Amino acid sequence: MGEQPGRRAFLRGMAGGVAGGVVAGGIAGTAGGYAYAAGRPDPATAADATVIQGRLPAVPFHGGYQAGIRPAPQRQTAVVSFTATADGRAELTDLFRTVTERARFLTAGGTPPPAGIGGPPSDSGTLGPAVEPDGLTVTLGVGSTLFDDRYGLAALRPAHLVPMRAFPNDNLDPAQSGGDLVLQLSAGNADTVLHALRDIAKHTRGGMQVNWRIDGFSSPARPAGTVPRNSMGFMDGIANPDTSSQREMDSLVWVQPGAQGEPGWAAGGSYFVVRLIRMLIEFWDRVDILEQENMFGRRRDTGFPLDADGIFAAPDYTADPTGEVIPLTAHIRLANPRTPATASSRILRRAYNYDRGVDQVGDLDTGLIFTCFQQDIKRQFETVQTRLIDEPLVDYISPFGGGYFLAVPGVRDASDYFGRALLA
Amino acid sequence: MRTPRPLAVAATIAALTTTLALTACGGGGGGGTTGVLSFNNANCGPSWQLAGPGWHTFELRNDNTVGGEVDLIDPSSGAIYAEIAGFGPGTITPMTLDVGSGTYAFRCLFQDADPMTGPAVTVPGDAKGAAAILPVTYNDLIPLAKQYQGYVGTGLATLARQVATEDGDVRSGDLAAARRDWLTAHLTYQTLGAAYDAFGNFDDEIDGRADALGVNNPNWTGFYRLEYGLWHGQSAAELKPVAGTLTTDVDKLLASWPSQEIPLIDIGLRAHEIMENALEFQLTGHDDYGSGTTLATAVANIAGTRELLAVLHPLLVSRYPGLSSAYSWLDRLQVLLEKQHLPNGQWVPVSALSGSARQSIDAAGGQAVEELAPIASITEPRNS
Repeated sequence: MGEQPGRRAFLRGMAGGVAGGVVAGGIAGTAGGYAYAAGRPDPATAADATVIQGRLPAVPFHGGYQAGIRPAPQRQTAVVSFTATADGRAELTDLFRTVTERARFLTAGGTPPPAGIGGPPSDSGTLGPAVEPDGLTVTLGVGSTLFDDRYGLAALRPAHLVPMRAFPNDNLDPAQSGGDLVLQLSAGNADTVLHALRDIAKHTRGGMQVNWRIDGFSSPARPAGTVPRNSMGFMDGIANPDTSSQREMDSLVWVQPGAQGEPGWAAGGSYFVVRLIRMLIEFWDRVDILEQENMFGRRRDTGFPLDADGIFAAPDYTADPTGEVIPLTAHIRLANPRTPATASSRILRRAYNYDRGVDQVGDLDTGLIFTCFQQDIKRQFETVQTRLIDEPLVDYISPFGGGYFLAVPGVRDASDYFGRALLA
Repeated sequence: MRTPRPLAVAATIAALTTTLALTACGGGGGGGTTGVLSFNNANCGPSWQLAGPGWHTFELRNDNTVGGEVDLIDPSSGAIYAEIAGFGPGTITPMTLDVGSGTYAFRCLFQDADPMTGPAVTVPGDAKGAAAILPVTYNDLIPLAKQYQGYVGTGLATLARQVATEDGDVRSGDLAAARRDWLTAHLTYQTLGAAYDAFGNFDDEIDGRADALGVNNPNWTGFYRLEYGLWHGQSAAELKPVAGTLTTDVDKLLASWPSQEIPLIDIGLRAHEIMENALEFQLTGHDDYGSGTTLATAVANIAGTRELLAVLHPLLVSRYPGLSSAYSWLDRLQVLLEKQHLPNGQWVPVSALSGSARQSIDAAGGQAVEELAPIASITEPRNS
């Protein structure tokens, strides 16, 4: 690929944030089409060799916001939905404390204590005798069903937390939708993610039970310096809010203290939408490249908008009011029309690819784990998704599961725990 | 429970090849380094010193010509802080421990040699470290195994009467009675879970699954075979030989039981393995050959586990702080299971459970086995 002005600009933009001079993909991620923003130094941007050796540094666990929301997609992830089986509020609180304790240890790394002759080993050993942090982040969300009559939490339900809505063209499977709780575990390597899930499950067997799980990955940027691609071959989500801008995060991502209708405990949280989207890639691969590019509104090979020369160049819809260049129904145009009126519907998009075998007729079961964070699901995700109803792309995808959650506020220090302000 | 682990200590002293030669990773910890400690046929380690309590990794080198076991003990009680079994000659093995303030000594059990105890070392201060556990000995377990053997003998006598009743039902062509009496007898068998290995081939003959054979294989015998026929419309004539064989096999087992021995290590192992099998085969519905009673089977498995815990109680009460938690999770699981026993006497099959009922059952079962698992390590017979 030749040097392109837009790409060079991107590389310059990244230079401050990347150690070792290697730009891995996925940085400041990427949703329906906003200016690409360089984030703070981020484990996902480290050199591939570091990732492969499982040597990514620890992502600090403590803070006002959960640590897994701001960073770009890591190489590996698992999204796991649980039913709370804790019996009453006290056991639920124990559950949140236990998840916190395990997350605190797993994200920091260290040597698990030996069990002596008092029991089986305390750790599975799959990461060796000492647990490497490997950039692990553990993001905990709560679903609307946690606020039913079981735990006396009904009055504390976040204002915008409802069961996930089915959109036209969705094909939702109840067995792969919803959940009282969700955990997203992301790290540099699949063994790190699996080790963390196994550890947390071992310590919480009585308190919660898995409903559904999906594993995902974020590809290296190909070519280097671009943005990771989805299973349709297109760079996935090139623009996102600037995660390094507190102002932008406060206006789009974090639930604000005193926000109308929001319970006080939710401040610092973020609404977390998960959509599991099968891609019908056999059908897609039989589609002409021009048609494919018109559906997205971008070039497949370069990621450029059809009207510009640069991945991160903004398409100019005012110059193309009838969709001569970028069709009015193109995904990037519907998702983000780039008008002042639609600016507040922007989301922090964090998509991963999934690949899990084959279906009953031998077609590949592969697609997208779409996740996004925002302040208000109706104002943001649902507004974007409503604009996308019946976009041409729907013939090639099948949303089959997921859920709406609130990623709870961060764990501030060693004496704090997930959901303390909700449960205490 | 059909895959017993290798025999502990006594039997493995000869099996030294399994020792891993871990790379020496230094001492460290709050109290400084103790270097590499040498153990040989004359000395169970040198004297050593730690400035204070904290996490510490000892490095132990076996300079003897034979293998054995080295424990770090409290010399006043013989309670064990940490152990290295299968300590091969020439190897260096780390032993990591949260060392508290107190007195410590290494104790060596080299092959074909009398036990030796190394110098007693006092770690200063008043910090609490990892707790020591008093080892369970073969002598501790022998009377308990006899007690358990008696329980099984009584259970087998009951079982023999119940399968005879069942056999009579089938012979007289009363298949409704046969279905009822099948469950009674099968549940009795399922309370004897710690003894299956001692039953030898009888267990396959009496309670074997069809997995490897297929349901139409004439070599498939026992309770599940009978269940399959009783709930799949097979005739009394077809089932007579099946019920007859089951009766014969149970009678043979009963007759042979007084000369059978339950391995001592099994008593502690089965404390969680009975329920591990219940989770794998009953709570999943795998072993439902038509009657839909696997949840009743799980209740019987809980009863069998409780019997083991009762037998082991004198050893556990001072050694296992999680014992009450193990009991309470078994209680919770049992309550959840019995909610699926309908007023008409029927059991809800796993496949008909509501999602939330199933999740609650699976969660309680999962927690119960976590709480039961340490019992195997704690009650593993050790030389002292």
